[in-house]
Amino acid sequence: MGLAARTFANALVLGVHGRLDQDNCDAFRADLMTHVERSAHQGGVVILDLSGLEYVSSAGLRCFMLASRQAKAQHGRIFVAALQPMVTEIFEISHFNMVFQVFPTVREALAASSLEAAAAFDQA
Amino acid sequence: MPRERPADDTVVVVAIDEQALARHGQWPWPRDRVAELVSRIAAGHPAVLGLDIFFPEPDRFSPASVAARLASRAPEVAERLRELPSNDALLGEALRKVPSVLGVAGLETLDPRFAGPPRSPPVRFLGDAQEGLRNYPGHLRNVPEIDAGAAGHGLYSVDLEDGVARRLQMIARFDAATVPSLSIEMIRVALGAPLTVAPATGGTIVLRFGDYAVPAQPDGRAYLAYGHTAPERFIPAAEVLDGRFDVSQLKGRLVLVGFTGLGLADRVGTPLGETVYGVENHAQAMEAILQGRFLRRLPAAPRLEAVALLAFGFVLFFLVPRLKAQRSAALLAGGIVVLVGAGALAFRYAGLLFDPVGPSLGAMAVFLVMQAGSLAEAQRQRQQLREQAARMAGELDAAKRIQMGLLPDPSEVLAAEKRVDVAALLEPARTVGGDFYDCFMLDDRRLFFVVADVSGKGLPASLFMASAKSILKSAALTVQGSVGGVLARAQDEIHRENPESLFVTALAGVLDLDTGELEYANAGHEPAWSHEPRGRPERLDASGGPPLCVLDTYAYPSTRRRLVPGEWLLALSDGATEAMNGAKEFFGAERLRTSLGWLGEATSAVEIIGRVRDDVRRFAAGAEPADDLTLLAIRWSGPQAPGTVSER
Repeated sequence: MGLAARTFANALVLGVHGRLDQDNCDAFRADLMTHVERSAHQGGVVILDLSGLEYVSSAGLRCFMLASRQAKAQHGRIFVAALQPMVTEIFEISHFNMVFQVFPTVREALAASSLEAAAAFDQA
Repeated sequence: MPRERPADDTVVVVAIDEQALARHGQWPWPRDRVAELVSRIAAGHPAVLGLDIFFPEPDRFSPASVAARLASRAPEVAERLRELPSNDALLGEALRKVPSVLGVAGLETLDPRFAGPPRSPPVRFLGDAQEGLRNYPGHLRNVPEIDAGAAGHGLYSVDLEDGVARRLQMIARFDAATVPSLSIEMIRVALGAPLTVAPATGGTIVLRFGDYAVPAQPDGRAYLAYGHTAPERFIPAAEVLDGRFDVSQLKGRLVLVGFTGLGLADRVGTPLGETVYGVENHAQAMEAILQGRFLRRLPAAPRLEAVALLAFGFVLFFLVPRLKAQRSAALLAGGIVVLVGAGALAFRYAGLLFDPVGPSLGAMAVFLVMQAGSLAEAQRQRQQLREQAARMAGELDAAKRIQMGLLPDPSEVLAAEKRVDVAALLEPARTVGGDFYDCFMLDDRRLFFVVADVSGKGLPASLFMASAKSILKSAALTVQGSVGGVLARAQDEIHRENPESLFVTALAGVLDLDTGELEYANAGHEPAWSHEPRGRPERLDASGGPPLCVLDTYAYPSTRRRLVPGEWLLALSDGATEAMNGAKEFFGAERLRTSLGWLGEATSAVEIIGRVRDDVRRFAAGAEPADDLTLLAIRWSGPQAPGTVSER
């Protein structure tokens, strides 16, 4: 599962697609970590656009958790946005909404990042 | 592979056959009759006449011999006869009138009758060409009177190899003298040319006379390119003697006289599998010389064949283990085709003899040995894999047994307990899993239970699970106070030994068996369900916190609830709700609610988990379980044993 990356000002929006489970989480994790590190170095925000994510297993949640820890260690931030109902339920049950700031839409996540990011999104 | 026959039959054979013997008496004929045959042939002016007939002793029919026997009986007749020339002289005289060639036969031992060297043509040797020539210590030749009439002398010698004439001695030495083969000598005499023997390429020698060149091996032998026997080249001697054959047809031809009569003729096998008369062997040799059809087997040929075998062998040696069986068989077949083809081409176009059979057989042997070897190797590897798989399976089996052994059997743990009915189930998805449950009495009235799920699957998850389970149990037994506090303590402990940053979801609870008071806390786990008698299945409050070890210092809140007698609880892992069918749909909370709704009032804990398990499995029929499935059912009967409790 490749991550589709888009940049809006200081915000990096990563589109996550399909199913995230034991079988593909290692590749996803490596990919995500690279983005998080680069973004944190630039003092930016990573927004995970989960509108394409159908399912996330506990192994997938662990990847999110590790990314969050790395971002925190590097003084970066990660938001998640646009969760499908299934993933919303998983986030609620696992209380990962306590780990991440969850936004209904990517636009709202960008707005929470910076005015410039929201403006860049509106212009695009 | 017969060579093509010459267009013109330059070489003919006057055959002393059965017919000739019948008409002119048994052999040996008086030599005046042979002389008559020679004279008649000579009248046709052949280019050369060669006799494949030997006359080593004087003719006993010579007039002088007859005279000796008649001396007493008819002295005057004997006197008259003595004046006549001998038959041998007549034959010698006849031979003198035509360019003729007589034979010399090589012997391995000296014949005292022929002590001196045979008459031989002048041969000029260049370089060391005579060094390797075969040398015969002894020989047979004709009586001097006949011999004197011959213009040339040729060797009668065919080396039979396995009874087959493959090579002809083209030239040989008799100590001082050197004699070429009858065939060469006949042509040389016909041409009136001198013979030169020179070294040639590859250690071979070459015999040159006129425009002709005969390649030979250093010992003087050459491979003859045999053609099929040609009956049309035979002329019956009887017809020549009777004048029925027009001898003018012999003009300019190479004429051989020899035997084909049964009992007289030597017969020689050719490499074509035919048997020819010895005389035809000479005829074929002449044809081969005239057409330059000589097969050469280079002295290096055996080495070339060995190199071909080695090269082919090495190719097989390196490629056979790397190719599939069919391809390596094709490689072998292809290699043999190339060898045979090369041999055939060398024979057809260069007259070179190269034997592809040896290298091919050798390569086949190499191939078979390799095949046997790789078969043995493949079997050994299969055996190893089987053993490895068996060992792995054994280890995983042991791990599973250990893991399952860590899980308590509620019916044993709570065997004497009448106030509560507990049943549990854990079905791992990949032999060993990350789910676990636990239940035990904290004291005589409080039951502690937990259902948990470690992130990930397989061996790493199961190891982490084992440690998390014991930590949770020790926290439950030591922490006084809330269930949330137990989870928080467990989180602290697990976090300390968690290099892989795994996390654990857990639903833990304590049920007071006397009062039905339930206190539970949830660390990111699937909420439990409850069902009151005559009520509907209810999904319990999902409040709580993230899984253990996600937020290291999280203080888990506890939730309280009071059960009514007969009410049951079902705690489960996401292996139930997230079980997937072939259409990638999840079992989900709503299906679970429906499934639980069908359970009757008096359903036991064992029946509850059995029904839920069956419903989940039926839903996911065919699909491989993606996650462990864990179910824990607790049915509170009330403060006293069932039956003594009046229902509300």
